[in-house]
Amino acid sequence: MSRHIRSVAFVVMALILVPFIVAGLSGLPAFGNYPGPYGDIINAIGTPVRHITNMVTGVNYDFRGLDTLGEEFILFASVTGIVMLLRGARGEAKSADALRIEHRRREGRSEAVMGAGRLLAPITLLYGIYVVLHAQITPGGGFQGGVIVFGAVLLAYLGEGYSVWRHVAHSTVLDLTEALGAGIYVIGGLIPMFFGARYLQNILPLGETKTITSGGLIPIINFGVGLAVAAGFLSIALELLEETRATGGDGS
Amino acid sequence: MTLVIAGLLAILSITGLGVVLTRDPRRQTLAMAANGLVLSALFLALQAPDVAFSEIVIGSAALPLFFFVALSSLRADREHK
Repeated sequence: MSRHIRSVAFVVMALILVPFIVAGLSGLPAFGNYPGPYGDIINAIGTPVRHITNMVTGVNYDFRGLDTLGEEFILFASVTGIVMLLRGARGEAKSADALRIEHRRREGRSEAVMGAGRLLAPITLLYGIYVVLHAQITPGGGFQGGVIVFGAVLLAYLGEGYSVWRHVAHSTVLDLTEALGAGIYVIGGLIPMFFGARYLQNILPLGETKTITSGGLIPIINFGVGLAVAAGFLSIALELLEETRATGGDGS
Repeated sequence: MTLVIAGLLAILSITGLGVVLTRDPRRQTLAMAANGLVLSALFLALQAPDVAFSEIVIGSAALPLFFFVALSSLRADREHK
């Protein structure tokens, strides 16, 4: 199809579509319009029935906790798939040296990048752990804190270089941590069933509102998600970065 | 607050356009990271800090890293043939 015919076809189709788009946009509700009662109900009952102040975490890990279990295993399955695909095709023997790429200057990282990485990595790590632990009190939660921890470990990569980093982000440690995180969620949901309650039912003591032990089951399964998310994302990063490494010294 | 949201939406339209109009994949990855940064500021202004947290790390650190690694891997493979 030539460029000219394509332009004509575009103009004709645009002229047909524009009235529908204008009609659709003019019928939109006002900015910030919220018709549903669900959010208002959660805001009203969250603190009295679960002793929490962050309702997003309440919905994710209590009121709709089973949905998060599903999401948790979507992540778990994706990470497992990536690891199997890449590690299986690559084999285990890889050196820490980067593959040589033609026409690319091989300069080390600048001192500014190294300094920034070394300075920011521990602060970011601490903040990520804070966000995981305060899920039911302040904004954030297992997923958000987990990805911040992941970001902190990436900053350590910028600060220390790849050969040091792959010892820190070791694949066995990451695999075990991710399995542990997913396990905490599943088993944390099963325990209430031994006491005659339903799966994931929050029967633990709820604690005092605005403390990190409040919310009963919420901080426990939230911590599991934090572990699984941080380790899962790091596994993906590690497997992808290993793809850019030269093969080991045996000449394979 | 309305002014902040309007300003952020305007900046977002510029960074979004930047992602579409950039042709070089490596520069496009950086444009995408900038877009993610503005997007997370917008989420914060719309009182969704939980989403802003996720967006700032996924949009401006994780996704660019994965793209850079994929691009670097592609260039390295070409050398073997």
